[in-house]
Amino acid sequence: MRRVATAERPDWRAKAAACGFGFHTIDDAPYWDESAYYAFSLREIEVDIEAPSEELHAMALDMVGRIVGSEQHMQQLAIPEPYRDWIAQSWRERQPHLYGRMDFAYDGTGPAKLYELNYDTPTSLFEAAFFQWQWLEDQLARGQLPAGSDQFNSIYESLVEAFGTIARGIARPFHFAAVRDSVEDQGTVAYLRDCALQAGIDCGALAIEDIGISADGRFTDLDDQVIGCLFKLYPLEDMFRESFGEHLPRSGLQLIEPPWKALLSNKGILPLLWDAHRGHPNLLPAEFDGGGALPRGWVRKPLHSREGANIAMHLDDGRELRTDGPYRDGPCIRQACHPLTGFDGHYPLIGSWVVGDRACGIGIREDSSLVTQDSARFVPHAIVEEARGVLIA
Amino acid sequence: MKRSRTAALLLMSTAPLLLTACDRSESASREGLYTSVEACVAQTNDSNTCQQAFAKAQQDAVATAPRFANREACEASYGKEKCAERNDGASHSFFGPLMTGFFLSQMMSRNGAAMNGFNSTPAFRDSNGGWQRPATGAGGVYRGGAGTAMVPVNATPNRAVTASRSGFGTSGSSRGIGG
Repeated sequence: MRRVATAERPDWRAKAAACGFGFHTIDDAPYWDESAYYAFSLREIEVDIEAPSEELHAMALDMVGRIVGSEQHMQQLAIPEPYRDWIAQSWRERQPHLYGRMDFAYDGTGPAKLYELNYDTPTSLFEAAFFQWQWLEDQLARGQLPAGSDQFNSIYESLVEAFGTIARGIARPFHFAAVRDSVEDQGTVAYLRDCALQAGIDCGALAIEDIGISADGRFTDLDDQVIGCLFKLYPLEDMFRESFGEHLPRSGLQLIEPPWKALLSNKGILPLLWDAHRGHPNLLPAEFDGGGALPRGWVRKPLHSREGANIAMHLDDGRELRTDGPYRDGPCIRQACHPLTGFDGHYPLIGSWVVGDRACGIGIREDSSLVTQDSARFVPHAIVEEARGVLIA
Repeated sequence: MKRSRTAALLLMSTAPLLLTACDRSESASREGLYTSVEACVAQTNDSNTCQQAFAKAQQDAVATAPRFANREACEASYGKEKCAERNDGASHSFFGPLMTGFFLSQMMSRNGAAMNGFNSTPAFRDSNGGWQRPATGAGGVYRGGAGTAMVPVNATPNRAVTASRSGFGTSGSSRGIGG
């Protein structure tokens, strides 16, 4: 794995505009960054990332089955009592799920280490599935990449296939929803809806704020139609504590991601996985945080922290890093500190996409800090077979 | 090759594209949930299709019904005396719900006549009185990691007077919530 400086496509901004990629620059700061790419060997992709992703995915689903049978685990994950049966039922019914993203620390040496599962509201999907793919095609055509360069990215095909597979079981009308004023989230659901339409599914879109409730506790769209199925790019745990949340379990609304994803988008899954698979090469030691001082070599993460918020890191050398954020109260976990490796002062985090149950691609977020935050830029990648040097004895 | 052969956009692209995928008017298909062949015939006047749909659903019922280790677990989800012991042929026995109906869907031609072919799946009634049918089987992008999926049978979408809105979204920020 190498970081390679490279020439940008001169027309990439126009291309971004032409395909609705409206958030390549956020608050005047670059988000999409193609001044460099990460080069992987095929072995690094297949052995170190793809295979562990599928193994960890299977382990995580297996863990859902254990959690729904355990009040203690539900308690440890801080699942509010009124939602526990509903979540368990959604798992018993195996309500369909669409996608998730695992974040790995990986530098090409040693096993990839799982930082967390983003299995409810993962973003950076359009960038990974479409714009990164187009970057590779363009740079191959321009001769800026070695001929035959590939990319670990069948996310698009997998999404269309997944929608096609679950289409028959999606209650209608089927709507996609995200926060109205978030350009990034709206872009992500627009892309997912695009894939669903390409799979032949008739589907609409509305802002999460526009969802209505009827007197008998069913959720409605702006035409007063009872929503059959809702893809919500909105955290389940936030829905639980908002005013409409109490209606969810009896509303008949089908959700994607389904309620059981609340158990996997929760960092409490990390100590449970470690307990069940202690010593697994792709897992970091983890435990529920009992409070108190954070010892050296450990990281504290709130159960529901997103975008690297409210992370406390106590490095082996005694340095302490802390990020601010809205998740100040509430339970946390501790995870063994395994800092990202710097590449020319950049710290890449590998986001490994799982669509359905298939590991199908990666996207890399690069930060100048050890904690990957919303400031992190998306940097493309390519699979480039290493040039074999001629060995002269 | 590890990447998609192609990656296309329909809606997001400013390039002109003919959108043909969404031509699905309500009248173009017939869907129904029936508790008996007789109920199906009464509704559709198509006894041949109803009989075939019933037979196919019955055949699929054992393979696609949810599986439980014991009768109690099955009855908890599907009700007293609604479960039977089954065997998967490899000497593993399990309990599954009895088929209580079948779901039939069929494309119709422009003049309303049934076109060739239909889809039928077994339907099960859960202990809350709701109807379910098996989701699409494992395979392809879904490797059965989530096992046999049951989904609610929804008849035609219905309307309800909205009492209030904006009960979701107060936690969202303009920066977005994605991880």
